[in-house]
Amino acid sequence: MKLRSMLEVGAVGAASAFLLVACGNNSGKESSSKLIQWQQSANLTTLDASKVTDNTAFGTLNNSNEGLLMSGENNTVKPGVAESYKVSKDGKTYTFNLRHSKWSNGEPVTAKDFVYGWQRTVNPKTASQYSYLFDHVKNATEIGKNKAPLSSLGVKADGDYKLVVSLTKPQTYFKYLVAMAPFYPQSEAVVNKYGNSYGTNSNNMIYNGPFKVTGWTGTNDSWKLVKNNDYWNAKNIKFDGVKFNVQKDPNTALNQYQTGGLDIDTLSGKQQVNEFKNSKELHSAKGATTFYIEMNEKNNPVFKNADIRKAISLAIDRKQFTQDVLGDGSTPAVGYVAPGMSKHNGKDFTDDAGTKEGVSYNLAEAKKLFAKGLKETGKKSVNVSMLSDDTSAGKNTTEYLQTALEKIPNLKVTAQNIPFKSRLSRSQNGQFDMVVSAWGADFPDPISFLSLFTSDGSYNNGKWSNKEYDTLVQNAEGKDANNAGKRWDDLVKAEKVLMSDQGIIPIYHQVTPRVIKPRVQGIQFFPTGSPYNLRDITLSNK
Amino acid sequence: MVRYLAKRIFYLILTLFIVTTVTFFLMKIMPGTPLTNEAKLSPSERNMVLQQYGLNKPVWQQYISYIVNAVHGNFGTSFQFSDQQVSYLISSRVGPSLLLGLQAIIVGVLAGIVVGSLGAIKKGTWIDTTTTIVSILGISIPSFVLSILLQYFVALKWGWLPIAGWSGFAYTILPTLALAAMPFAESARFVRTEMVDVLSADYIELARAKGLSKFGIIYHHALRNSLIPLVTIVGPLAVNIMTGSLVVENIFAIPGIGEQFVNSVVTNDYPTIMGLTIMYCFMLCVVLLITDIIYGLIDPRIRITGKRG
Repeated sequence: MKLRSMLEVGAVGAASAFLLVACGNNSGKESSSKLIQWQQSANLTTLDASKVTDNTAFGTLNNSNEGLLMSGENNTVKPGVAESYKVSKDGKTYTFNLRHSKWSNGEPVTAKDFVYGWQRTVNPKTASQYSYLFDHVKNATEIGKNKAPLSSLGVKADGDYKLVVSLTKPQTYFKYLVAMAPFYPQSEAVVNKYGNSYGTNSNNMIYNGPFKVTGWTGTNDSWKLVKNNDYWNAKNIKFDGVKFNVQKDPNTALNQYQTGGLDIDTLSGKQQVNEFKNSKELHSAKGATTFYIEMNEKNNPVFKNADIRKAISLAIDRKQFTQDVLGDGSTPAVGYVAPGMSKHNGKDFTDDAGTKEGVSYNLAEAKKLFAKGLKETGKKSVNVSMLSDDTSAGKNTTEYLQTALEKIPNLKVTAQNIPFKSRLSRSQNGQFDMVVSAWGADFPDPISFLSLFTSDGSYNNGKWSNKEYDTLVQNAEGKDANNAGKRWDDLVKAEKVLMSDQGIIPIYHQVTPRVIKPRVQGIQFFPTGSPYNLRDITLSNK
Repeated sequence: MVRYLAKRIFYLILTLFIVTTVTFFLMKIMPGTPLTNEAKLSPSERNMVLQQYGLNKPVWQQYISYIVNAVHGNFGTSFQFSDQQVSYLISSRVGPSLLLGLQAIIVGVLAGIVVGSLGAIKKGTWIDTTTTIVSILGISIPSFVLSILLQYFVALKWGWLPIAGWSGFAYTILPTLALAAMPFAESARFVRTEMVDVLSADYIELARAKGLSKFGIIYHHALRNSLIPLVTIVGPLAVNIMTGSLVVENIFAIPGIGEQFVNSVVTNDYPTIMGLTIMYCFMLCVVLLITDIIYGLIDPRIRITGKRG
């Protein structure tokens, strides 16, 4: 018996490693719950539209509340609370015509709720981390600095159902911004009623969207979105709602998905994605997020040399990296601005701006350029560190980059993986040689990416500086802001300048792989702004 | 006894104060700020937010106001969960961790005592070897491996128990077993070693000579004396387990506190780190105090009196 039990234990131990790899694929089982069971990897932190910062909260808010407009497919906007809107010729005045709609407490949603909500987000006392999105709205920046009264904000109610917004300069992408949570209406009476506990649990909140949040105590691991019968379009909401379950361990979540406990699960890593490679249940949502390397030109003058920067970029085989190392569906970078985010005259930005320059792989050329760069800078060798997150993706990235870059003679790279917050802080304080950074666009316009790398950009951590680039970005935001064609050309040129001078080194565009049971149809995922829309879902029950 | 208690409570407060102070300053050395999307804020916006949280003041001022507030029972609001009181965050999530910990300790220690005694009584036989091997495995197999194995076989493959979640007793069984492995193995080892010693003592011989039954000897004489060292380890072990295990809680999706602690450190959620540290420290001190008192109850040779120390 002793021997047998020992054998069993040994066999179980050996099998455990194998099991992690071989959890069965074909899921078969489906839940019969009336609610969609959805895995979340983080807790819900707030329901306050002025204080929301993370994706879990954005997703919940975007479907329990509604702004003037809302995100639609292919980076468009659809009417939300505003039935229609008009932009003045100079592009500086927006007039929104509001429909008659209700809050979940039966009160009407009026233009005053928008005025109040916007003022509350901009108010420095609220300490909103997204108030910068209002920077084109008249007086928003001054109010943030306590230099103008709150009432001077460029948003006015003209009666109960007309909202007039004044901008300081034209902003063609303003329509995307008003679809985001910080621009949602807020009821002054409700905010005052709950004071500091407003939005800290599902009861201390009212909703004007298709669903109401229930069952969230403020700290627990599950909450529901249930149909809101007061929603203006409630008759077109065809299912009962969603139950979110916080499930941080990816293996547990997948086990639950496979046994029918979950309908939607976000996959983690190559192994899990491979299991579903040929399954119709796999949905890879492209996000407008780019991972790239910044080189600290201030700290390490050798990076001021464009040949050195280009050599490093040429040594990276992005295709091999995304396929063999990441393997989660992420795609090789085609430039800095992510593809599939914005179009002009039917052409994607990356098609217009796309050059192979800056993102291609050519090791022989890399070696040649690096040797040339060394000569120009009078150095014999370069010894630098590569900073990244201590997540498994972060470690995989530095490991790969180290191997790839050290194929260049006289280049030595040390990997440093530290926690996310420490990485951010070191990036911002310039304490790095090279750092792997990531940027996700807030709204589907190339400016959301390109505004970063102007000489004085606060996230230009590497301090790359190029006058032509600065002028192009400035024109797009200034003198060409109201001329769609010219503005597009400015941005295309700016991207080309950034790439041909290799101001940064793009590596890959992130994709979020999910598995979704066939009974859930019609869910929409967006690359920017609100993460998903549940309004068009149909749920079939077997 | 009263004087002894008063003294111990004074030390408890002193310990709490020192731990709070050291944690506070260590925490401030950590790089980064609690801002969630710092990368998107301009320096002036960043300053504005920090000002709102009182993080722009000198560290010593922050320290003093923290201590003053903490004495009044106010641990501040969490940075991660906007506007959420830390005291609420802790109290609403500590329950599941405590319950699991308690179950694990009871199951683990009781099983450990039985297995350990069995090993000692049957010393040198195959039973002894098996129990020793099992307890060594219990110590050396990490709880996450055990969790994954239990989850895979018991829940996923055989479908006897739920995979993960928190809605009833059935959901607590697997995580309890995973957590119980350590206290089980530790106590089995201790009890065996101790009981082997005790069983060879003269008074056991005497009891045997008196013609007491085998069970009587084990239960009344051997076991009681073997448990003394166990009391010393069970206290701290209990605190350790009851304050939640990050991995086990993650794997079984337990809405507990263990995961929050790690998360608060990673996200620089200062008020939550402080609140949890104070709570852990308090629990540990109280358990050590209780351990000392129980010690006296089990072993009459150890007496806590006013005269001592």
